Amino acid sequence: MSRGSGAGYDRHITIFSPEGRLYQVEYAFKAVKSSGVTSIGVRGKDSVCVVTQKKVPDKLLDDTSITHLFPITKYTGLLATGLTADARSLVSQARNEAAEFRKKWGYEMPVDVLAKWIADKAQIYTQHAYMRPLGVVAMVLGYDEEKNAQLFKCDPAGHFFGHKATSAGLKEQEAINFLEKKMKDSPQFTYDETVQIAISALQSVLQEDFKATEIEVGVVRKEDRVFRALKTEEIDQHLTAISERD
Amino acid sequence: MGDSQYSFSLTTFSPSGKLVQIEHALTAVGSGQTSLGIKAANGVVIATEKKLPSILVDETSVQKIQSLTPNIGVVYSGMGPDFRVLVRKSRKQAQQYYQLYKETIPVTQLVRETAAVMQEFTQSGGVRPFGVSLLIAGYDDNGPQLYQVDPSGSYFSWKASAMGKNVSNAKTFLEKRYTEDMELDDAIHTAILTLKEGYEGQISANNIEIGVIRADREFKVLTPAEIKDFLEEVE
Repeated sequence: MSRGSGAGYDRHITIFSPEGRLYQVEYAFKAVKSSGVTSIGVRGKDSVCVVTQKKVPDKLLDDTSITHLFPITKYTGLLATGLTADARSLVSQARNEAAEFRKKWGYEMPVDVLAKWIADKAQIYTQHAYMRPLGVVAMVLGYDEEKNAQLFKCDPAGHFFGHKATSAGLKEQEAINFLEKKMKDSPQFTYDETVQIAISALQSVLQEDFKATEIEVGVVRKEDRVFRALKTEEIDQHLTAISERD
Repeated sequence: MGDSQYSFSLTTFSPSGKLVQIEHALTAVGSGQTSLGIKAANGVVIATEKKLPSILVDETSVQKIQSLTPNIGVVYSGMGPDFRVLVRKSRKQAQQYYQLYKETIPVTQLVRETAAVMQEFTQSGGVRPFGVSLLIAGYDDNGPQLYQVDPSGSYFSWKASAMGKNVSNAKTFLEKRYTEDMELDDAIHTAILTLKEGYEGQISANNIEIGVIRADREFKVLTPAEIKDFLEEVE
């Protein structure tokens, strides 16, 4: 049988370990958690909402320049959790890919096609030694003509799934437990419910109440298929609604 | 193939003559969800568990069984992202064959070309082997066929086979139940029973996938409703 891990490089590049694992991919997942941020995505009946923490490490920083929420096209958005630089690289490539798709085929790149493209790129980094995996989990959201509201999550291993609700980052597991309870009977949330579930999930898991400037919220809805980041006032409205409800 | 800085293979011989990266790839396959295939007298059935990481995952967004051509389907055990790459490459190869010969690719040819890709990744510079084993099911002029392809790139034709976590129990079960003149519907029932044997939890139409191909040479993935009917017949 095999002895040890050969030259011991299985921890440095994406080759198999004796147990059949890819350590570099597993470490990439750890890097996502190391950013210290948790993100949540919820898909309602006709809308999708993603929420993430906005941690500004220094008061002197211009907080308008800090964002993890990126429009890829007018109609699709991407929430990146993990290493910011890797996220920007991914977003830049995704924007290019979506634009070329639109030019080539004459219609907007569907959300699931974009998610698959991102995931396939991630897979390449897990198989070719010359590039390390990206330390980013990407949540892609949009409204599809045929399949209605869509929320996909792509991870460094190259997996991607459609989700009714999901989470990424530091408190990923706690958030998923919270959301599983809420989504157990496959409820069909309205737009307001979707946003408020997403925000309250984050608040519950991190055990703190947010100010509108401490979180970023992105939405897509049937009535207005454009991907939008909510403004501070709108976030405030939802926060107020949540606290009145409780 | 061969990535610029890595003009040397990462899969190299150990002193005992083994290619350990391939062995590790097989271990990765062995920890994947169970899948199996059965060749009947009038068709082929392939099936797999579809256990998703959470109830929050939209199961309609996931399809583990894929078609490579209208008359050839494939299922895997192991790493999903690697599987997607092989599906894409195989589909392209099938199309290139058609473009050249104006005939649909025979099953053996497609298996051979897919296996060649998997072998390349065990020898080329800067890449690792694929962490999947494939079960390719097809029906062409040579009748129903079932092939298993491993990360090493070796392939064999099987009457019935299984891969993944529960491989040894599943194969024992299949050996007992397989008969040469089995009809496809019997094979589907046997496939379901074999999956049920090793399934942790309650099997249902939403957490398994079944693909069949009959003499009509059209590979189909069964809908949850159709799976439900077969499940009820098995009960």
